[in-house]
Amino acid sequence: MMKKLSILFATNKNRNRHVSLLTPPPLPPVSTLGGIFFSAVLTAIIACSLFFSATPSEARAKGKCRDCHTMHNSYEGRPMTYGNRTGPFPMLTKGGCVGCHGQNPDGAENIITLGKTRIPQIIHRRDKGDLASGNYSYVADGYSPDYTKGHNVKGISMQEKHPMDQPPGFLAGVVIPEGEGPAYWPAQNQLDCSGTWGCHGNRKEENSYKAVHGAHHTDDSALDGISVGKSYRFLSGITGIEHKDWEYLASPDRHNGYKGDPGHNSLNTISYLCGECHARFHPNANLGGSKEVGHAYNSAWRKHPADIAFSTVHGGYAGSEYQEYVLYSLVAPVAYFDPKGTEKAVDANSIVMCLSCHRAHATRYPDILRWEYNNDPLKMTSSSNGCIVCHTRKKQ
Amino acid sequence: MSTVFAFTQRNIVMNKEKMIVLLLICTGTVFLIINTAAAVVKGDCEVCHVLFPGVPQYELPYTLCIECHSNADPDTVKIFGRSKVPVVYNSVKPSRHLAGGNFYYLARGFGERKGHNVAGVSPSDTKFNNNPPGYVRTNDPSTIGYSDTKTLKCSGSNGCHGNRNIEDPVKAIMGTHHAVDQPVDGTTTARSYRYLKNTGTVKGVTGFEEEEWNRNSTPQKHNEYSSSIDQFCESCHGGFHREEKSGPWFRHPTGVTLPKEYEYTEYNTNAPVARASSFEFSKSEIVPGVDSVICLSCHMAHASPYESMLRWDYDAIVTGEEGKDGCLICHTGK
Repeated sequence: MMKKLSILFATNKNRNRHVSLLTPPPLPPVSTLGGIFFSAVLTAIIACSLFFSATPSEARAKGKCRDCHTMHNSYEGRPMTYGNRTGPFPMLTKGGCVGCHGQNPDGAENIITLGKTRIPQIIHRRDKGDLASGNYSYVADGYSPDYTKGHNVKGISMQEKHPMDQPPGFLAGVVIPEGEGPAYWPAQNQLDCSGTWGCHGNRKEENSYKAVHGAHHTDDSALDGISVGKSYRFLSGITGIEHKDWEYLASPDRHNGYKGDPGHNSLNTISYLCGECHARFHPNANLGGSKEVGHAYNSAWRKHPADIAFSTVHGGYAGSEYQEYVLYSLVAPVAYFDPKGTEKAVDANSIVMCLSCHRAHATRYPDILRWEYNNDPLKMTSSSNGCIVCHTRKKQ
Repeated sequence: MSTVFAFTQRNIVMNKEKMIVLLLICTGTVFLIINTAAAVVKGDCEVCHVLFPGVPQYELPYTLCIECHSNADPDTVKIFGRSKVPVVYNSVKPSRHLAGGNFYYLARGFGERKGHNVAGVSPSDTKFNNNPPGYVRTNDPSTIGYSDTKTLKCSGSNGCHGNRNIEDPVKAIMGTHHAVDQPVDGTTTARSYRYLKNTGTVKGVTGFEEEEWNRNSTPQKHNEYSSSIDQFCESCHGGFHREEKSGPWFRHPTGVTLPKEYEYTEYNTNAPVARASSFEFSKSEIVPGVDSVICLSCHMAHASPYESMLRWDYDAIVTGEEGKDGCLICHTGK
């Protein structure tokens, strides 16, 4: 475990977020005092605007306790209700995970502000407003769900039938940041938001609420992965940079900064998190490894790899089709070894990840893909089929 | 032989001296204990018993509770005959409210959610309609039980103090002001903390009754509570309590020890705790993992300046910033 932690720490030694952002662009020379003053003001404005636009999201809750909690699930003699949900809910929350992050499934708000806290909504009806993880609206019971389009999370969707009641590619007892993953996935255990049978929080803790206990109140100004609260999106042990609006209206130079590691020497990559449940799909030796996925450099892949840099492609990066993917694409994003969330350039060191093709929660497309996989290849464009964002020469 | 005799004589003299000193210490201790309680009424009978002309001298009306424990000026401890009387209801803003708070905040137009809506002080709560929030009949040890057809009273089956197996609020507390009230071991109504015992078949509330009812409380000088106070509150608000002894909590727990990892270590009179044992004196130290959270950690018993009878303005307590008051006294990590 110590070794794992030291790896986690090592990968974060050189993190230096936003330093470059605080450096204002050069100004034209000025000769008068007024000019100098104007220049200084302009510099300050530019610096401030750059700082705020690049400020990552802060998941630490702020504001009144009562905005999120109810002490006795009682108000003026009646049980509390939150939306259509009746409590009481764990952790004294007014509505539990889904109640808070899915406050108005029929509403158009994808980010709800409650007091001083902005709450990303995982299910909503805002047109073109899906956040980075997608939108559970596509799989939620009561909303004409298509279970192929998302994770079937307890409280949102019914459990899928066998064999989809277990994570595809699941392997028993894989290495996870907290130790060892579950020995098996009991059929009765539906996927949850968090805990052993979920994605967020401490995956050694079976209780989904205990698994994220305290995370919303942790100072998360530095996401070093040493606790749930200090992990990327409360995904235990995972590092990265969180876009302040959960990628709503993100741009090629303002987006989530995903952590990748083509050396497979760490547990803190976003793809490793996916691999904790879908182990056979990840080439890390702790997970499926080369036996399941294949080797970099010199073999045909058995499965599409993740946590693989473009530089490691068979035949070399130079002259490869991947060399033509140069501008960060929100359709098929890439990870970086030391993500900043401001990278505009894609190069040999950019890393393919699970989230290059998929989103985490649900999308309008089967297999939680970011695009329609069944589109006619001859009509492919980078905005309609993300495969060709990387595989640039396969569109004709 | 003579040496032995002389030694024995000196020993006897010394032992007598020691006995006298010991007797003085014991007498002083007993005096101090009795003086601390100060709940046994002293002085002329008429001071209390003829307040109501025309009423038979020893048949006291319910409103006597309020008459006696009220004050027209801001003082919250008044002298009545030879007795110090804790004031629970000032008709003007109290100088320093006592541990139970003050019904001033309820009765003087600050809103019906500021306190227990006790008859004689305030009309019934329009939202609750005489129903105690969270009332569960099986949690109420009273054979009569709380009746929502009647108003909340100071005492009796529809009240807090006295014997709750007796409906009449005056009869329910009859004799307690004249009974031996030490030690506060919960064996009788008088020997229960602030006359809170529910019924004769259950043990009363125990604790340490600070001699000024917390009027000038400090971290070194204050009431001490036991978790029996929670069981008492549960009699009428049982639905707010659950059997779980560990999280995740569905309702704010009481009767559970403060988590060891928290940093609440110095007693704050705005967030009292219960002690596991030893109620002889006030202690200024909080021991996480031993001391426990109680209903009164957050609420006052009578009325407070704040909604839900809280000890603080819940709306003013914010997380993620620099505040240290209210909820954050215990929840230091927030």
